[in-house]
Amino acid sequence: MTDLLARALMMSTPLLFGSIAEVFAERSGVMVCAVEGIFLLGALGGFVGDYESHSLAVGIVLAVLVGAIYAAFYGWITVYLKQHQIVTGTAFNLLATGLSAFFMRAVFGVPVVPLTVEPLKALPVPLLSRTPVLGAILFNQNILTYSMYFIVPAAWFVLYRTSIGLTIRSTGENPEAAEVAGIRVERIRFSMVLLAGAMGGIAGAFYSIGYLGMFTTNIIGGRGWIAFAICFLGNWNPLGALAGTLIFGVAEAVAISMQSSGSLLLPNELFIALPYILTIALTILRRSFNVPGKLGIPYRKEN
Amino acid sequence: MSPRFRDMLLSIAVAVVLGLGASAALLLFLGRSPVTAYALLAASVIRDGYTFADIFVKATPLILTGLAFALTYKANLFNIGAQGQFYMGAIAATAASLVLGNRLPGPLSLVIVFVAAVAAGGLWGSFVGFVKAKFGANEFLVSMMSTYVALAAMNYLLRTALMETKHEYPQTNPFAPGLWLPIFLRGTRLHAGFILAVLIALLIWLLLFRTAFGYRIRVVGHNSDAARLAGIDSRGITVTTFFLAGALAATAGFTETNGVQHMLVQGFNPNIGAEGIGIAILANANPVGVIFASILIGALKVGGTIMGQTSGVPASIIEIMEGFVMIFVILSYFIRSGLEIRRSKKELRRAQAL
Repeated sequence: MTDLLARALMMSTPLLFGSIAEVFAERSGVMVCAVEGIFLLGALGGFVGDYESHSLAVGIVLAVLVGAIYAAFYGWITVYLKQHQIVTGTAFNLLATGLSAFFMRAVFGVPVVPLTVEPLKALPVPLLSRTPVLGAILFNQNILTYSMYFIVPAAWFVLYRTSIGLTIRSTGENPEAAEVAGIRVERIRFSMVLLAGAMGGIAGAFYSIGYLGMFTTNIIGGRGWIAFAICFLGNWNPLGALAGTLIFGVAEAVAISMQSSGSLLLPNELFIALPYILTIALTILRRSFNVPGKLGIPYRKEN
Repeated sequence: MSPRFRDMLLSIAVAVVLGLGASAALLLFLGRSPVTAYALLAASVIRDGYTFADIFVKATPLILTGLAFALTYKANLFNIGAQGQFYMGAIAATAASLVLGNRLPGPLSLVIVFVAAVAAGGLWGSFVGFVKAKFGANEFLVSMMSTYVALAAMNYLLRTALMETKHEYPQTNPFAPGLWLPIFLRGTRLHAGFILAVLIALLIWLLLFRTAFGYRIRVVGHNSDAARLAGIDSRGITVTTFFLAGALAATAGFTETNGVQHMLVQGFNPNIGAEGIGIAILANANPVGVIFASILIGALKVGGTIMGQTSGVPASIIEIMEGFVMIFVILSYFIRSGLEIRRSKKELRRAQAL
């Protein structure tokens, strides 16, 4: 049971990175619909950086760069040129599928054996990791998972207790008023898209270099969309996003342990589909959405 | 030709050229000449009748998934789940084909298989519309997620009930030849599904622009407040358009299983849903335009595949071309709305001068 919960916490890490970033972007009024492609290119960038340099840090930096650059193009088209976010996102996701396979080939050719790197190791926190039960769950994790413990309170604090947070929220709720107050609406929105790109890059890299130690073109398989959905289901609140990612982390951990234990009580595919079914069920049951007022609507200045 | 229509054709043509140019630039990373690659692409699609006909074979499911997005788009709804509806249609068509076998005359069985696919995909799609209409659930999220559920269902069935008798690969037994869609150009793979897809596109055009129901769809899409004031039941429209969209994508599943593969193979056509969205955008959501856009993308797919087989350019160049073309088409929408504003300002000035 502690194993399962520890794994659940680990598997919720990338979803948290993705969904918190999405919360910030959507609070400012933009949906980052290129999220799946950003995750995928982040996974590729992280793998290439790590494999070539044998350094996890280089991998993460490359993943952040790749994610942010890709998001910058998306942000330029959706925020500055004001084109449709869902449609633009679909184009970017399709392009990312091609780009990831293409660059994998361009960088590594056609390898005979699958290329691997050492996945992230757990770093037990001295003393704390010896705490019964909680120690094994909370304090025997990898560095990215530990960073969650800081990101959630920091994100909540920034969004609700600082002027930057107020600026972001008002940009999404009432851009006209924000503009009158001297806020550069487009610049705020574009920055949030960049942030989502950088964090989405890390999230993607978690799957390739953090968890599996390899890259395949179907490595993300809809996890970007799950992070996107968690942002909705978590009511555009970092704490809600945390709750959502933990639920999905448990679902994923259950799926993994079912697959490896080989118990065929229920079909494997049911567990694979579980997070998606859960999202559908929660989307239907969820009431009184706290949708940012101008979510998905480009801001046009009156002239 | 109205200036607006001329702008549209011109800007889309430029967007396609730029999209292909951007993809070509990437080939430099592989140390390959883009000029030779595209010369090869162009030469290979017209190298023989079989390959040329394959363009239309590839276009067939694209027309249908393109329509599956375009139709809902007209009602200002977002059906991102065509991929899953496509799989549900393919599963139903396959199950019906395997059950029927040689028992009934071919044409009759084909009709039954078609109806089974349409019913399965239509119901799968209308679920999205239903929860949107009834609970206000975000149709974008639900349709997106439903694709992954359909994929899991297909994988499960292909390793259990539908798996081939040899139990080696995740695919079904081949269908009885009586259940294959007839080939209408001898010596090629071009099957009746293409004609079906074109007819359906024309029917959807008629539905949208020549019937009261289509008018209501467009009113809901254009201005939902006005639609409500006019007493249009937008919930009913939501469910029905999603049913139709699901049925369209499912028909693509039917034409692929019964027209091309004659069996169900795990994870086939994994991008058909996203490609459909691209095609709908390329065609400005016009059902007749969807036919031409699909033929264009079909040609890219055929040429890209041959390029991958013969010159060592990876087949992923197809998705890159599709992605770049789509992005440049989106950019062309931006340019076009700028042109439109300039033109109306000029007209306004002329009117003021009078």
